[in-house]
Amino acid sequence: MSEDARWRAVFADQDRRGRWLDYARAWNERINAFVSFADAPGGAGAASGADADAGADADGRTGAPPAGPLAGVPCAVKDNIAVAGQPLSCGSALLGAHVAPFSATCVRRLQDAGAIVAGKTNLDEFGMGSDTQASVHGGCGNPWDPELVPGGSSGGSAAAVAAGIVPFALGSDTGGSVRQPASFCGVFGLKPTYGMVSRFGLVSYASSLEVIGIIADSPERCGQVLEVIAGLDDRDQSTVAGTPDRDAVRTIGVPRACRQELRDPQVRAALDAAAGQLAELGYRMVDVDLATLRYAAAAYYVISCAEASANLARFDGVRYGARAAGESADRTIIASRSAGFGDEVKLRVLAGTYVLRSGFHDRYYLRAQRVRTALRDELTALFEQVDLLLMPVYPAPPFARGSARLDPFEQKVADRYTTVANLAGAPALSFPTPQPRVPIGMQLIGPNFGERLILDVAARYAAEHPPARPPGYAEDWR
Amino acid sequence: MNAAAAERQAFDAFVGLEIHIQLDTRSKVFCGCPVAFGGDPNTRVCPVCLGFPGVLPALNREAARMAYVVAQAMGCTLSAEAVFERKNYFYPDLPKNYQISQYGAPIGAGGALAAPLSPPRTVAIREVHLEEDAGKMIHAGDVSLLDFNRSGTPLVEIVTAPELRSGDEAIAFLQYFRRVVRHLGVCDGNMEEGSLRCDANVSVNRAGAGLGSKVEIKNLNSFKFVGRAVEFELDRQRRELQAGRTVQVETRHWNENRDVTQSMRVKESDSDYRYFPEPDLPPLRPDAAFLQSVTAGQVELPQALRDRLERRHRLTGAQAEFLSDERATADVFERAVAAGADAQQAARWLAGDVRRLLNRAGLTIAQSPLTAERLSELLALIDSGAISGKIAKGVLETVLRDDLDPAQVVDRQGLRLIADEAELDACVDAAMAAFPDAAAQLRQGDRRPIGFLIGEVMKRTGGRAAPEPLRRILQARAGGG
Repeated sequence: MSEDARWRAVFADQDRRGRWLDYARAWNERINAFVSFADAPGGAGAASGADADAGADADGRTGAPPAGPLAGVPCAVKDNIAVAGQPLSCGSALLGAHVAPFSATCVRRLQDAGAIVAGKTNLDEFGMGSDTQASVHGGCGNPWDPELVPGGSSGGSAAAVAAGIVPFALGSDTGGSVRQPASFCGVFGLKPTYGMVSRFGLVSYASSLEVIGIIADSPERCGQVLEVIAGLDDRDQSTVAGTPDRDAVRTIGVPRACRQELRDPQVRAALDAAAGQLAELGYRMVDVDLATLRYAAAAYYVISCAEASANLARFDGVRYGARAAGESADRTIIASRSAGFGDEVKLRVLAGTYVLRSGFHDRYYLRAQRVRTALRDELTALFEQVDLLLMPVYPAPPFARGSARLDPFEQKVADRYTTVANLAGAPALSFPTPQPRVPIGMQLIGPNFGERLILDVAARYAAEHPPARPPGYAEDWR
Repeated sequence: MNAAAAERQAFDAFVGLEIHIQLDTRSKVFCGCPVAFGGDPNTRVCPVCLGFPGVLPALNREAARMAYVVAQAMGCTLSAEAVFERKNYFYPDLPKNYQISQYGAPIGAGGALAAPLSPPRTVAIREVHLEEDAGKMIHAGDVSLLDFNRSGTPLVEIVTAPELRSGDEAIAFLQYFRRVVRHLGVCDGNMEEGSLRCDANVSVNRAGAGLGSKVEIKNLNSFKFVGRAVEFELDRQRRELQAGRTVQVETRHWNENRDVTQSMRVKESDSDYRYFPEPDLPPLRPDAAFLQSVTAGQVELPQALRDRLERRHRLTGAQAEFLSDERATADVFERAVAAGADAQQAARWLAGDVRRLLNRAGLTIAQSPLTAERLSELLALIDSGAISGKIAKGVLETVLRDDLDPAQVVDRQGLRLIADEAELDACVDAAMAAFPDAAAQLRQGDRRPIGFLIGEVMKRTGGRAAPEPLRRILQARAGGG
């Protein structure tokens, strides 16, 4: 029985569906990965426990047997991506009990391909964070050790896949939010080329940087899902179509700076080991320079905060979400935002407002855009020399929840390896490497539209070095 | 020169206009909701124009085309890469709390419009840009209500240089501008419904000293208020300067109840809109086909049309002015003349009875059943003597009411003039028989009853007796011509 057939069987059979729900709930009590379970036919019943009856769901879909390449395969969707009729919280108190009135284009395409949205997953509020602790639903744990963070901001999606609850999940990657949690949870996380997947239905945090990404249990699964969700969309005019400029990978570059600056011995060892393992697979590994790397995180935060300050302005309690009482329209808006946003969101909105102020605009925003252009140019030139880049995802292994976690500033500095791909718009994949204890992933970054190249390398790598499963992972319920 | 005029001469006045027009597109600028005026609140809305979480704008190409048509008509250099930007400010009627507008790279810049000021003069157009309209906030007692029907309606903003000098010039320019956009067919120019809105930038300075401190006046929703507000503000600023005070840079609004401008806010406090390029929309890069459609959208501007009509058809200035006011009127006129109608007659009818009847019916000429063919047919019926001018007025009324051709009306109602001598003779006989005293008088060579008898014949023929032959017959009866 193929993987797909086994997943399909789970959701075709009342009995097995019940066992799936038991398994998912048992995990969820430990790691809080799901914020809601879909109440839809073929789905799993509400998070409260009431099983769904057959009938039409919010999109008018009926209980007819699914068809298409992902027929009957369950998935999870990060809770900043709209699924019609399901809550859309973005992990924020401000959105209150908001229910999405429409589905994201990628969700619609998944459903048209037969996939079943099993539930919505936990995240850092509006995707702002790297540990999935800043959520109105409470923090999310790592399936490998619930005392560790799962990474973020798509931590719930990565944890759900790592725990074997779903074979894949959608996330969003603005500065590493798909790859870093995939790395922390020991699964695959694909950030596609900017514009390849429609963002319609993704609640915007930093529009020019973010893409909808895929977290999955295999590179093949990433490719399969990408094929379904990618493509031009009239409702997102930033979507683009393209093909890679080469057909095979021979040479992989490793930026010298990564090796030189990595302080953490485990991550450093993982990078060296991965480079060696790729060389064993026949790839020519070369050292390269990536001078703009040191400015990446700073440029990323200036641009993302600037865009966030505008993107999050719509959350004012006027038309939807939680409205706080105020004596005037102005006061209502101020009170709603003060009460509804968490600290990290406030920090970024304020920082973004600051860098866009007249008089500061040139010094911060335009300067960051120049760094971005320089970085993009440098990457383009690098891909003349090499086919892919191998880099760490994160300079530290999964860290502890609670007081021992990295402070917000350290977390931002640590985003430098992932933000490179977002600033350049390039595709990148985080893949697990063999580790004795907790997962550590590495990433491959490619030229635009080079997803297939990256996934092929990762598939060959995974065949030799299959990812480990966390304790408690089971398939016997299937 | 009186003292007041001398004082005025000691100052230069600078008035610039920021004009917003709503484009006549079928759907909104970034979503598929219909564009219309009025209706129940919040009935033409969707997640996109309500700024729901997860939506993205998708540019309406027709709105972009119309905006380029306006920019080209204003003589602007068209941008090869027009960039949308976010203008950030919080207001409850602005769903995203930013407006998608343009700033650094608008659709057009550096234009000029030749306007019929006195004397006629060219006014520089600084820029033309495309943006989205906001909703409306309605204050009702102690609650505020929001209607987002207007949210996302395509707006084009046209900014003139501060080259106008008075309230009258501001009115004249704005009226002419309105005619231009109506001719282009991109906006109905209705100020009452807000499809044309205007802010004025006004400054005054000592003669020769250049621009003064700029005051922006908002809420000018009629031509009259534009004129009054500009004049009030010019006066106020002159008095400030005369009193040795400085004019504060600020935004004021026109209080139409008190006929004064009042301070809304001092500019410095909130002029920072933190513009940055809209990452959700790629820059607009018009290709050759698009630019061709923009050029195809150009029409002869009203002033050029007016001058041409006046020259070619030897019309009076007033006639040419009237005919060129609406493109549709000029079209009917020119096509009727081409079909053989006399230009003077056509102009007189259009400006006279046609206008009167259309006004009464509340129709524009384009909406009415009157076509160029029907007008020329009506004039030909008069010209050939088939009907009198007086009957023609009735025929026109029926044409407009029943959507018929003039010849059809004439035939159906039997309105052709009686020009046949024998028939007229019989009519005269009958009238004279009915009034023997008048008849006797006439036969004795007294011509005084002629007028009375003409009236009597007209009464009996329903006005259809051809006046000239009738008079001749009666004169002959009086003996010897």
